Amino acid sequence: MIDHDESLANDPLAALVRASAPERFESGFSDRVAARLRADREPALSAVLQRQFFQIVPIVAAASLMLAAYNWWGARETSSSPIEAVLNLPQVTLASAYSSSVLYGAAAADMETQ
Amino acid sequence: MLERTTDADLLARARAGDDRAFAALVERYESAVAATAVGMLGPGDDADDVGQEAFIRFHHSLDHFRGESSLKTYLVHIAMNLSLNALRRRRRSVLRFVSRDETPIESAEPSAGPDGHVDAEELRVLVRRAVSQLNEKHRAVVVLRMFDDCSTRDAARILGIPEGTVLSRLSRAMKEMEALLAPYVDSGAAVRETIR
Repeated sequence: MIDHDESLANDPLAALVRASAPERFESGFSDRVAARLRADREPALSAVLQRQFFQIVPIVAAASLMLAAYNWWGARETSSSPIEAVLNLPQVTLASAYSSSVLYGAAAADMETQ
Repeated sequence: MLERTTDADLLARARAGDDRAFAALVERYESAVAATAVGMLGPGDDADDVGQEAFIRFHHSLDHFRGESSLKTYLVHIAMNLSLNALRRRRRSVLRFVSRDETPIESAEPSAGPDGHVDAEELRVLVRRAVSQLNEKHRAVVVLRMFDDCSTRDAARILGIPEGTVLSRLSRAMKEMEALLAPYVDSGAAVRETIR
């Protein structure tokens, strides 16, 4: 295969093109590269938040499970469903819905007892 | 002091976390990367971004660089790929904002002096404008072979094309440039020494 290196070496146009090669970026290029490298090394805020989130998740999950177990243990016989027991929901019946404490608040219930 | 240190030493120190050694490599090869990025994209922020990105990627791959090609070829390869990607993005962009990157600095016609000679800097600008007018494939070959002084084999490897294709594209590109620069070639030969 013929490489045109030799012919190009003596070609005035090729020499002119070679001599016109851009030589540098605008001044301070290596500083800009260094600044970007430093920025790459510093952890991003999102990464910090993510790490903290994953540290907290197991603790919160364990606390939630313990609370659910406590609720279920206390209300397992009175609640109509396990979900109500786990969430510690009060039993809702027609009578309780129309009771004065529900309709008019705790003050009315106090007055009734008096 | 670091100017005389070999690439291998600087690489070893950069791998060990020496930022000054890496900065020395950046300064040493800035011209090669600038020739590629500015040659392909023209002067401006796009070329500067490509140059920075090329060195950042190189830094990330310091441990993987085995020296199978020269460091210059390796960096020029990265810069060329990034430049071609940037050109594709430019083509795809629907809204083209007028920026410094798109304003050809070579807009001024060179003014010949009283003796018919063109100023060396103006001639250089004129040549770069001629290169920027080549199509992307031809420009890439001219940039690699002429601006970066890569061998035909390296240019072929970087562009992923056969060596024969490099030569044919170079030949066509030079003919196009000859047509554009014919009036200045003699002048160019005259001012070559001034430019260097």
